[in-house]
Formats: sequence, C-alpha cells, structure tokens
Amino acid sequence: MRTSHSVRQRPSVNMAGVGFRRWAQALCRGNGSGISALVSGCRAASGVSKGSLPGPYPTTPEEKAAAAKKYNMTVEDYEPYPNKGEGYGDYPNLPERSQHERDPWYQWDHPDLRRNWGEPIHWDFDMYIRNRVDTSPSPVSWSSMCKQLFGFIGFMLFMFYLGEKFPSYQPVAAKQYPYNDLYLEKGGDPEKEPEEVKHYEI
Amino acid sequence: MHPTSVMMASSLIIIFTLLVYPLITTLTPAPREPKWALAQVKVAVKLAFFVSLLPLFLFLNEGLEMVITNWSWMNTHTFDINISFKFDFYSIIFTPVALYVTWSILEFASWYMHTDPHMDRFFKYLLIFLVAMITLVTANNVFQLFIGWEGVGIMSFLLIGWWYSRTDANTAALQAVLYNRVGDIGLIFALAWLATNLNSWELQQMIAATKGVDLTFPLIGLILAAAGKSAQFGLHPWLPAAMEGPTPVSALLHSSTMVVAGIFLLVRMSPLMENNPAALTICLCLGALTTLFTATCALTQNDIKKIVAFSTSSQLGLMMVTIGLNQPQLAFLHICTHAFFKAMLFLCSGSIIHSLNDEQDIRKMGGMHHLAPFTSSCLTVGSLALTGTPFLTGFYSKDAIIEALNTSHLNAWALVLTLLATSFTAIYSFRIIFFVPMGYPRFNVLAPINENNPAVISPLKRLAWGSLVSGLLITSNISPLKTPVMSMPPLLKLTALAVTITGLLTAMELASLTSKQLKTAPTLAPHSFSNMLGYFPSIMHRLPPKLTLTLGQAIATQVVDQNWLEKAGPKSITSSMLPLVTTTSNVQQGLIKTYLMLFVLTLALTLLVTIY
Repeated sequence: MRTSHSVRQRPSVNMAGVGFRRWAQALCRGNGSGISALVSGCRAASGVSKGSLPGPYPTTPEEKAAAAKKYNMTVEDYEPYPNKGEGYGDYPNLPERSQHERDPWYQWDHPDLRRNWGEPIHWDFDMYIRNRVDTSPSPVSWSSMCKQLFGFIGFMLFMFYLGEKFPSYQPVAAKQYPYNDLYLEKGGDPEKEPEEVKHYEI
Repeated sequence: MHPTSVMMASSLIIIFTLLVYPLITTLTPAPREPKWALAQVKVAVKLAFFVSLLPLFLFLNEGLEMVITNWSWMNTHTFDINISFKFDFYSIIFTPVALYVTWSILEFASWYMHTDPHMDRFFKYLLIFLVAMITLVTANNVFQLFIGWEGVGIMSFLLIGWWYSRTDANTAALQAVLYNRVGDIGLIFALAWLATNLNSWELQQMIAATKGVDLTFPLIGLILAAAGKSAQFGLHPWLPAAMEGPTPVSALLHSSTMVVAGIFLLVRMSPLMENNPAALTICLCLGALTTLFTATCALTQNDIKKIVAFSTSSQLGLMMVTIGLNQPQLAFLHICTHAFFKAMLFLCSGSIIHSLNDEQDIRKMGGMHHLAPFTSSCLTVGSLALTGTPFLTGFYSKDAIIEALNTSHLNAWALVLTLLATSFTAIYSFRIIFFVPMGYPRFNVLAPINENNPAVISPLKRLAWGSLVSGLLITSNISPLKTPVMSMPPLLKLTALAVTITGLLTAMELASLTSKQLKTAPTLAPHSFSNMLGYFPSIMHRLPPKLTLTLGQAIATQVVDQNWLEKAGPKSITSSMLPLVTTTSNVQQGLIKTYLMLFVLTLALTLLVTIY
C-alpha cells in the first residue's frame, strides 16, 4: 500500500461499534425509563463525541500521545501546528501534498479522493482534491518555468511596443493632381502665372 | 405582406420549431423509442438545414435581411428589452453552415457513442447547445445574445464532463466554466455600460447612438468576453483541456461553433469598434500573440486531439487578428470556412481513435492510409484546407486575411507573429500527416479496422465536400463590404503561400531526421516549453488558486474569529482599556482624607454659587 510515507495507518476503529457501545452505556446509566431512555440514549450514539473533536495545543507528551491517538496517527508522525495563537489547536500539521501525488492504481477506499477511511484529513484538504491545486513535481523546476513564461510574455510585450513605434505599412504618396495642382479649377486667377509644382524628380 | 418576407419569416419559425420539438418531447417521463436520437434529432437538424437554405437563397438573390421583434419582454419608459431576431448577412450564412456541420456530427455521433447507455441524453445536450448557439447568432439585442452565450457555456460544461466519473473530465469542465466566467465579467460590464450610456440593448439603437461617444471601456469588456469564449492568450488553457469530452463534442463545440461565439460577438459589434484604434490594436496584438503561442504549443503535442485543439486556438487568434485589422467580414468568412475543415479533422481523428481502440497518441499510430484510406484522405484534405492550399476552402479566407495583413498599417510585430504562426500551421499539420496516415503501423493490429459504416463515411464525405468547395461558393456569391486592396507587389501576394511552403519543407526535413533518431527523449528547453504549453497551466493553475484558496480558508476559519474576538471585540476592549485603567490606578494613591476634603470643599463651593 503506497500512501504518503510520513503517515502510517493505525488499525481502523469501527465507528458503528463505538456508537453502539456508547449508546448502551448511556442507556444503563440514564435515569429515564422506557422511550425516553431509548431516545436520550440515541443522542449519545449520534454525532461526534467531545473526545474526538480538536482540542487545545498539546503541551505534555501524554497530551501529544492522546492527540495522536485521536487523529489516528502514530506518535512519531504526529506534529501539531506551532502555537502562535492562530487557532489550530492540536490539529496535525500534515505535509503539503495534494491528492494528485497519490498512487492512482492503488485500491483506495474512496477512489475519487484517493483516501482511505480513517486517514487524518489535511487542514487544506478541499484545496488538495484532484479538481484543484496540484503539488506534484513538474519536469522543469518552478523557477525555470516562471522565468521562461514571464520572460516570454515580457519579451512579447516589449516587441509589441516596438511594433507600435515602427509600424508596417505599404508606402504611399500624397495624391498628385495635374494642371499645376488644378490651379484654374480651384479658382486661381487666369491672368496670373501659376507657380510650378514639381511632384517628383527622376 | 411581401411574399419573400413571409417566406423568410415562416422558414425561420419552422427552423426553430424543428429544433425545439425534439427537446419538448423529452419533457414527458415516457421512454424514448430506441432510434430516437437518429430518427428525431438528426432528422430534425437535417430538415432544419434544408429549410435554412431558403432564407440563404432569398438573401443571396434579393439581398433580403430581416429584423423580427417578437415580444416586448420587459419595457419601462426609458428602456426596452424585447425578444428580437436579426437575420442579416452574418446570421443567414452562419445558420446553414452550423446546421450542416451539426447534421454531419450528429450522424457521426450515432456511431461514436452507440455503446453509450445515455446516447439519447447526449444528443439532447447537443441539440440544446445548437438552439443556444442559434439564439446567440440571431440575436438582435445584446441581452438575448447573452442568453445564448450562457447557454452554450453551460452545455459546454455538461458535454465536456460527459464522462463525469472521470476526475480529469470534471477538472476540464470546471476550467471551461471558470475561464468563460472571467470573460463573462467583461461582457456583463459592457452590457451595463451600454445600457446606462446608450440607453438600449438593441443593436440598431446602440450603433446609431455611438456618434462621438468614447467607447473604449465597453469595447475592452467585449474584448475580454471574446478572449474568454474564444480562448485567446491568458484565457486559453480551457480549450485544450476541453478535449476530455467525446470527439463529437470537440468537433461541434470546440472547433466550429461555440468557440467562434466570441469572435462573432466582436463581428456583431464591429460598427462600435471601427473608430476606436486602441481596441483594434488590442485585438490585433492579442490575436497575434494567441496565434503564435498556441501554434508553438501544437508543434510538440503527441495527442492528436490536442494538436487539433491548439490548431483551433491558433485559427481563433487569426480571426482576432482580422478583427484587429478592421475586417469583420473576413473574420466571419474564416469562421464559416474553418467550421468545415476543423469539424472534419476532428471527425477523422475520432474515427481513427475508435478504430485503434481509443488510442490517441500519434506516436502509436501510423500506416492508417492502408487501413482507413478514406478517413486519412479526408484528414489530408482537411489539413491542406487548414494550411490555405490554393483554391481549397481555407485559401479564400486565410489568403485574404494575410493579404489584408500585408497591405494594412499595423503593428509590425503582429505581422511577424502571424506569418510565423502560418508556417507553424503547416508544420504541425504535416506532423499529423506524417505520424498518422504515412509510414507503417506502430500498434498491434488486434481489432479489425474498416470503413464499412455509412454513419462514419457520409459525414466525412459531406464535410469533405464542404472543405473543398464552400470557400469558392461563399466568396463567389457575396460581395465584400469593405474594398479589399487589389494591387500589391507579387511578393506580398504570395506571402501566405511562401510561408506555408517554407513551413512544409521544414517539417519534411525534420520528419526525415526521425529515421536517424539520436536521442531517446527530447531534451531541449524549447521543446519542453512547447510541450508543457508554455508552462502557463503549470504556473497559473497552481499558484493563484493556492494563494486564494488558502486565503479564503484562513479568513473563514481563523481571521474572522480572531478579528472579532481579539482585534475588535472583547480582547480589544481589554487591551485598550488596560492602559487607561493602569494610569488611573497609578494616579490615584489612596488619599482618602484628601479626597473627602476636596469633595466637601467642592460641595460647599457649589452651594455657595447656587445660593448666591
């Protein structure tokens, strides 16, 4: 079985069995009778119990071990987020790897998520699903890719700027009219001598 | 009423009825007959095509154009939104082309998808798409165009993700929707600007009201919309990713009809763009960059559908360049001619892929000319038409565009890029021909390959006829709206041909080198740049989403609580009160007798003041 090698699986717990056990215990301990006992007992079997919710940052090794057990991780793998008051509590700091990097051919419990039941869920799990961010290694290094792409775009923008400064067009000249630039037709004085207009020289 | 206008209006109503009727019959829970897809949908589209020829001939013969306003939908004192259809030069010619291509693709899809248990639903989706596309094309107001625009976007999403259990298809469909949405921002902004400043969404009113108005803002919005829908650079990755969908979807949506919607929008809005050099320059430069970039990416792809997808993207860039040259009619001509040969290229690819048991890698094909001669001949004809071989259909539009390019006053670099992209077109087209039909088979011939099914051959035949003669037919029967430049030096006239032949010769030379292959895998940096699509998806689909999603997660789970409790709430009250409290406490030293004396004194003074 190939998963991310920093997470080793603990034997998975049958949650249905846990729920039934809690319900039975609540039923024995409860002070109602008949239907009310059944109903109040059901409450204990449903939903997440207080012990399995994330808790405060673990300071002692015992707390660390308890937290690791809660998150279904080994004590060696378990590492909480640094306690900087950001509200992570004892949630495990799992490596930043997306689901794309997991084995596509292994028979996962949830094949579309490439995840097994009971595995600790990454804080940004919804970002690392197969439809979103991919962290798998690229053939070319990140810096090289960025340099090439933005270098290409920058080069193109610069060349477009030059192309605007020096546009391409077919050479054309001003329109040339005969009869001294249509001197008489434009209302010139017939008595006066029109000035010579030279359009070109050979 | 004049008989011709009656004929035109009624034939248009018949077309809409023919296309919508099969959709309405699916609204009941009763199961369809087994041959519903072929008997109802394909026949409806075929009939609609023949009916649409009547308005086409009326237009060609008499120049009849119509605007039909059917229904006043939402009318206020100052603003009207109507259901109105415009049957002018553009929509009258595009509708038969789209219906012809769709008819061929539906027939092909009946073979390609015949093992699919939901083939009927597939045909229904294609039909809904077609109705949305025709709504877009015939819209006389921008609101109706937007309805069609969104319709084609949604159907694209549903059809790309047709095999929805496949995560890659879901990702591709999501990409298409998100990139199109970015374009829609531009379109909605343009709509809002036009509504508030020109006071109408009807095309006639808008165009009449633009005298002396600076239209740069809405035009940039429209260009953004076209960039999103027509996969211009920056918003282009969704188009190659859309090849996750079945081949009929790629042939219909992502080559002939949907992706040209952006260009069509700009063609419709061309009267607004004519007098705005900034918008025209943006179109020109964006189109030139797109056409070269995507042609570069196409050079080293190994998936046959990806090569054709990048080819589509490159041709869309060319259409954008034509818009930038202020030649909307040429761009429209290229839309129509491109539809034929691109759809045919996709259908040939689909036929070859299916025959080879869903193998899409060209390195594992070869020798198809012996095994599927008609299909590979159609592939060759399509590629020749794509490269602009003289007097095939692509020539009439592409050569005219290159001529217009050479004789216009334009950005020199845009000219260089477009000519370079034209030669690249020849290179990657030859690459397909070299790897697929030529040579010897590089696969195990385990399944019998034949071309016996008429459902495959007839569509290819029809589209082949279209790729051969449609350019000649269209250009012979319409007169250009802008005077083309007729006289130019012979070198300029032959530029397109020269550049294409250069590309072809280069490709042939490179292909001959493969027999003396010295390396097992490509190692050059430019090859990597081209193969990984310019690293654009590798960078843009990783870094910006990661930053924004982590920001969103942090805001939702930590920042809000932290701010409300610590920075703006109880703890902030504590921290702001604390200095005040400590100062006050330090000042007050517990001198009770002094305080009592002060109190008595103040009280006495107050009494004195009030009594007197």
